[in-house]
Amino acid sequence: MTAPFDPYDDRSEIGRDVLDAHVATTPIRPARLIDVLGRTRAALGLKPLTAPALLFVPIGAILGPAGAGWLGLDLLGRLYPAMSTALAALGIFVGLGMSLDQRSERRLLAAASLEAVVTIALVSGAFVYVLTAWEVRPDIGLLPLALALGLCASATAAGVAPADAPLADRLAVRIADLDDVLPIAIGGVVLALAATSAPLEVLRLAAGNVALGLSVAVAGWLLFDRAHGEAERAVFVIGVVALLGGGAAYLGVSPLLSGMVAGLFWKYAPGRADTIIRDDLRRLQHPLVVLLLIFAGASAQPSTLALWLLGPYVLVRLAGKLAGGWLVSRVMFELSPGDIGSHLLAPGVIGLAFALAFHHASGTTASLAVLTAVAAGTLIGEVLAAFALVGPGRR
Amino acid sequence: MRRAAALVLLLLTVIVLRRAMDGDTAADLRGTALAFGFALIAATLAGELFERLRLPRISGYLLFGLACGPFAADLISRTMASDLQIINGLAIALIAFIAGLEINFVRIRSRLGAILAVGGAAVLVPFMVLEMVLFLAWPWLPIAPDATGLTRLGMTLVLTTVLVSFSPTVTIAVITESRTRGPLSELVLSVVVLADLALILGFTLVMQFMRSVNGATGDAGVGLLPFLVWDIFGSFAFGAIIGAAFALYLRIVGRELTLVLLAVCVLMSAAGEVLHFEPLLSALAAGLVVENIAPPQGDAMKHAVERSALPVLVIFFVAAGASIHVDALMELGGIAVGLALLRAFSIWMGVGLGVARAGLSHTGASMAWMGLVSQAGVTLGLTIIVASEFPGWGTRVQTLVVAMIALHELAGPVLFRMALARAGEVGGMDRPGGLTGSARPA
Repeated sequence: MTAPFDPYDDRSEIGRDVLDAHVATTPIRPARLIDVLGRTRAALGLKPLTAPALLFVPIGAILGPAGAGWLGLDLLGRLYPAMSTALAALGIFVGLGMSLDQRSERRLLAAASLEAVVTIALVSGAFVYVLTAWEVRPDIGLLPLALALGLCASATAAGVAPADAPLADRLAVRIADLDDVLPIAIGGVVLALAATSAPLEVLRLAAGNVALGLSVAVAGWLLFDRAHGEAERAVFVIGVVALLGGGAAYLGVSPLLSGMVAGLFWKYAPGRADTIIRDDLRRLQHPLVVLLLIFAGASAQPSTLALWLLGPYVLVRLAGKLAGGWLVSRVMFELSPGDIGSHLLAPGVIGLAFALAFHHASGTTASLAVLTAVAAGTLIGEVLAAFALVGPGRR
Repeated sequence: MRRAAALVLLLLTVIVLRRAMDGDTAADLRGTALAFGFALIAATLAGELFERLRLPRISGYLLFGLACGPFAADLISRTMASDLQIINGLAIALIAFIAGLEINFVRIRSRLGAILAVGGAAVLVPFMVLEMVLFLAWPWLPIAPDATGLTRLGMTLVLTTVLVSFSPTVTIAVITESRTRGPLSELVLSVVVLADLALILGFTLVMQFMRSVNGATGDAGVGLLPFLVWDIFGSFAFGAIIGAAFALYLRIVGRELTLVLLAVCVLMSAAGEVLHFEPLLSALAAGLVVENIAPPQGDAMKHAVERSALPVLVIFFVAAGASIHVDALMELGGIAVGLALLRAFSIWMGVGLGVARAGLSHTGASMAWMGLVSQAGVTLGLTIIVASEFPGWGTRVQTLVVAMIALHELAGPVLFRMALARAGEVGGMDRPGGLTGSARPA
């Protein structure tokens, strides 16, 4: 029914990291944990137990304006170009991780998207209800605000299933891996909605987001294979990723979406563009993600609104993920609700990335509260996921 | 063909983006990464086109910056160009570090006398010629035509010192990007570095003279001299310590060299701001220590330099090109061209005298003047000091010098690259033990 599963397959979002399998069976000690955080793909939030968000988001919060103030607002502003580039790089990894030509993968993508839609609908609906009931008047439209929270909640950090893991575990991990795709696509529209309420303008911005990804992807595809040497190729790769992120930031649209579109294009374009970009970006992925997490932590600003958003966010996200997992188990008979539910709890980095993009695009007090609530919710989610995954009888 | 298509596509993309957000100043503030990515790719392609035309790549980067910058097509706005300059400190440190790696004392020991002779003449002759012409032509120059006597002498001495200065950054960048090694490149590099050190000290003295002519108390001048001594010798000492640490890292660890090299350059640049060190001198000293005390083995260092130098050089020169003041050039174009020609002529004369006195026989030596035409950061730094201290005539000096820098930034690299090509030194770094450039056919 499904293709043979290889956890190190290139289709996985981030790709091969031989240390992951080792990490999964190693007892956790503080020194070991820090070493692991620095060296494995856990630094991308893909491994709930050793989630880097638990380390780097608090570090960012301590260093940021709300903490010691070493990372001031001016410095954060200067760092944003690197941040938009990091967001585009994450989008590229998601795009490269899709395999739409295989039926089994399309089925998994459909299941993952179903689970994501359930979470988005539940979280967004809950927030529309709650904010209306509380008579909260955010300085941004209620719908974009609720949708943004829904999108942030829908992303999951996929874990790692060793080759000898049960089929259910491997499928659940892959679904968790693919459930970022639809939120990133919808995110393009939500960010446009945050910028304007005119339907035609929203359509224009969303289309521009996709067109930007495509045009830069085509330019990159024309260049990568013909670079004269490694140094020039690295220049092209860095330049293309910066253009994807920078172009989106300039337009006020989603760098994640333009990156994902480009990644998908390279995946199916003739030549070695996908391999080249994956190999070159892999060297930068850990520093970029660590920077993103620290940036998110530093950008967070505690406020009453953020506090009000946090509780419902954590609870409804949990409910949404479990409901989504249950629904997926109804259409994929290989899975039981328990198999998939626990794999969907860890929020990882994509939700935070979307919250950052949303705040940057709208720049309002409400979007800052969303970012703060999502940052805090991510920490709580990671702790919950750790308990869910390492509890008695699991792994 | 594919590269041309990619370039056209990128240009169209950026034009559409700029049109879509036309007049949105907030978008400009968000445009740094866009400008960075666009400049990195498009200027690299432009540089390659220049290389095919046997011109220096950095001229391609500069012209690309000029063409796409705020004074021409405005694809890179003034805000974006200014944001791109955030890389300047890193670029200058990296360029100087690479230059230090190319100066081997064992190799140049035998030529030290010649370097001093050529360098001395290359500074003194232009200084005398320009000072004489400026003093005589002062009433017709739009700076302070009414000045007479000692005031006029002080003003002309200040202007002459600024005009004679060279550009170590551009010199090193041309050597690095054309992978040059040989007697001519070593001669020019040594002369430029030593001459600029001498000129910075000379500048301190003439500024002090001008202050005393103006009737200043002299406190500022007394403070400036130790400051510059700290600036120069402190920078060298700091760089030497960093270089020793880097050499130790190379020996003991030797991994992730690209990252460590960039981190070292960032450190020298940041420390320069905090401790008032000159990153150019610190990094040069660091490179000298690494090359002369613990020379790197194998290709790891070479690869690290290649990987880090290309993107940094591209952005640095695109930002410089985008910041060229075309308005100043238009305003004082005639005078700037005249002075630039006079400066080039006097450098040619000085180098000719120096080469004859040193008895240098290799074919490249007589072309060394072509490597001394460039002007950039040092000159601009000196003129900024003049403008801030003497807001009236100093500001007009700044406009004139900025116009001349624009000319020299464009013409200097082309001339130097031509000289290096004629001397057969281009690509010398890639030849095993390739130090005999002048013996090779051009």
